[in-house]
Amino acid sequence: MKIASRRLRGLVAAAIAVSAIAVPAISALPANAATAELTFWSWRTEDKAFYEGQIAKFQAKNPDISVKFTAYLNTEYNAILSTALTAGKGPDILQLRPYGGMANLSDAGYFMPLTVKDLPALSKLSAGILAGAQGYKDKKQYGYPYAISAMGVFYNPEMLLAAGVKALPTTWDQLLNAFKKVKAAGMLPLGNAGGNGPALEQLHASVGPTFYGGTQFFNDLVAGRKTFTDPAYVASLKAVKDLVPYMPPGFEGIDYNTARALFANGKAAFYIGGNYELGYFRSLNPSLSAGWFAPVAKSSGSPKYVSTWADGAFSINSKTTQKAAALKFANFLASREFGQALVDEIAFISTAPLVSITDPVVKKINANRTSLGTPFLNVVGFRYETPTSSNILQPGFQKLIIGATTPEQLAKDVQAAVASWYAPQKGKS
Amino acid sequence: MAASSLKSEQRKFIVLFLTPALATILVFTTIPALTTLSYAFFKWDGFVRGGFAGFENFKRLFSFPFRGQFLLALQHNILVFVAVMILQTSIGILIAYSLFQLKRRQRFFRTVTFLPVIFSLVVVGYMWQVLLDPYYGPINRVITNLGFESLAKPWLGSMSTALPTLVFINLWRWVGFPAIIFLSGLNAINQEFIEAARIDGASEGQIFRKIMFPLLAPSMTIISVLTFIGAFEWFDLPFVIGGSNGNPAGATDTLALMFYRLSFGSVDSNANEIGIGSSLGVLIFVIVGVGAGIGQHLLRKREVDQ
Repeated sequence: MKIASRRLRGLVAAAIAVSAIAVPAISALPANAATAELTFWSWRTEDKAFYEGQIAKFQAKNPDISVKFTAYLNTEYNAILSTALTAGKGPDILQLRPYGGMANLSDAGYFMPLTVKDLPALSKLSAGILAGAQGYKDKKQYGYPYAISAMGVFYNPEMLLAAGVKALPTTWDQLLNAFKKVKAAGMLPLGNAGGNGPALEQLHASVGPTFYGGTQFFNDLVAGRKTFTDPAYVASLKAVKDLVPYMPPGFEGIDYNTARALFANGKAAFYIGGNYELGYFRSLNPSLSAGWFAPVAKSSGSPKYVSTWADGAFSINSKTTQKAAALKFANFLASREFGQALVDEIAFISTAPLVSITDPVVKKINANRTSLGTPFLNVVGFRYETPTSSNILQPGFQKLIIGATTPEQLAKDVQAAVASWYAPQKGKS
Repeated sequence: MAASSLKSEQRKFIVLFLTPALATILVFTTIPALTTLSYAFFKWDGFVRGGFAGFENFKRLFSFPFRGQFLLALQHNILVFVAVMILQTSIGILIAYSLFQLKRRQRFFRTVTFLPVIFSLVVVGYMWQVLLDPYYGPINRVITNLGFESLAKPWLGSMSTALPTLVFINLWRWVGFPAIIFLSGLNAINQEFIEAARIDGASEGQIFRKIMFPLLAPSMTIISVLTFIGAFEWFDLPFVIGGSNGNPAGATDTLALMFYRLSFGSVDSNANEIGIGSSLGVLIFVIVGVGAGIGQHLLRKREVDQ
């Protein structure tokens, strides 16, 4: 009893002490402390520092609004966001996957439709880019597409020099020859590996279009004039398999981060993927001098293509209780100032007009995207219902590179999957 | 009269004490289970419920491409159950027996055995991912330095080794649990039986086989039923290591992962299928419920009273 009362007295004393410290601290807060607290979700764990820096800039001008940025693992972001939204929660502002990637959520009314009045910057975007964040059914605008992505080939000039590769390859044979030379010089040609399905899909989106015929094939596929079992598409799948001998040892088990780190740290001469990797490479190794060229043509004289798409948008939760603050922040994210920072700090290609690109690598990517652009087939075309083409292709590529399936079988599987829900392909095999 | 008032008094307390638990089960288990059951019979357009669908969702679950995924996941669940049952239980009994025989420092070793069980699963998952990394991981380095270069594999990334590796990690983390249950079972055995057997000249092996093991039946029932439920609802470790797609290429996919993926979407599609997901949820519920029920019934039969 005595001990208990002594403890109680101790607790009371501690509580008084804490409140004595806390009360002046609370009253010392500035009078204009944040009145609106926004939560902001993203799948770009790599860009946490960048977003936090931008938020600090926004808050300096808007001290009445505080923004809390949270990034989730890219492979789990969709499920985490869906779970939160269906439970009636979720962030005020969020990064939205492009095209069909989030259309079921916007169709279900989880996002606030945006008008030019809400977000004047929307009026400056082209129709093709706006389509990246529109509802599948109602075609309303549910987000501000903030970045354009493009696929290509990164290379390490010093390693190519050491391996005696004098000219940048422009055809498939030249590319494979360059890989062979690097390998013969005792170095690893390609950082890309198979541990991550989405990264393999992106590899295919880089090297594949020249084999299946780029935009023309995309249009034929969308219209139902051609199918995924077309020999040209099968050839594009085979191209991914042809790269296996140049991948790192144990390639089937090397995850996305390790694969990218191999290139960034000068252990691999090439990395094939999206322009958004550049910022990550540089963050890992600021002294890296990465070069870039457009994916090669299948043979000399055939056209080259750069897969491109509006990649990601900023959207507002329709259930936000902080609409005015959320719109203010969304307008900041759609500003030229933010777009410029995207380019300068993480080497993204911003959709915001009048943004100037000074980085020579980003400049080259942007120029090639404009002249050789073709839609990223799976993302732009076939992610609106399940099974999506990506549902089949991502694990399919993992099987393909270890020989557990063939390009022909994989093509048949994709066709069957898409034909099960996409009207123009129904009944076709 | 007095007896019946006592009874009604007791009843009041029974109701009072049971209400919180029953209400919790009702709100968090029964209602969601019934809701899922109802979801399985409706058409779904993303997150919007449509009209009555009958058995259409079940039919779609058993057609391309979901059928292949379902059968593969089910196969993995069964394999995991068999492997865990054999490895975890036998090693658990061995550890429990060793701890039981320890004369000194039993408490210390008991704590050490149980320690991984209380580790955060996310930490365990990350730790093993680092240890098993094909490039930088120390395990492959040790294997290579010992001269067995061909055995240095991408353990978590190769389709043939990913699931066995997950079973191994699970074993490492969880073996302390059956060990402690078996140890408490061994401690509950009446010492007179063991002493009587010793006086009759039984060897330690005979005592273990003929007396201890049969009297461990109640512990075995608990472990078997829990292992069965755990194996068929296996989600946490595969999710932490292979993500919701059961990376690589579905090699670590389980029924629970497939349910999660279908219901809430994944990286390769956010276009989800709540109807098919719910029908799978119903199937998992039936498999676990029926399996655990039958298992418990059969195992209880072979328990003997001391």
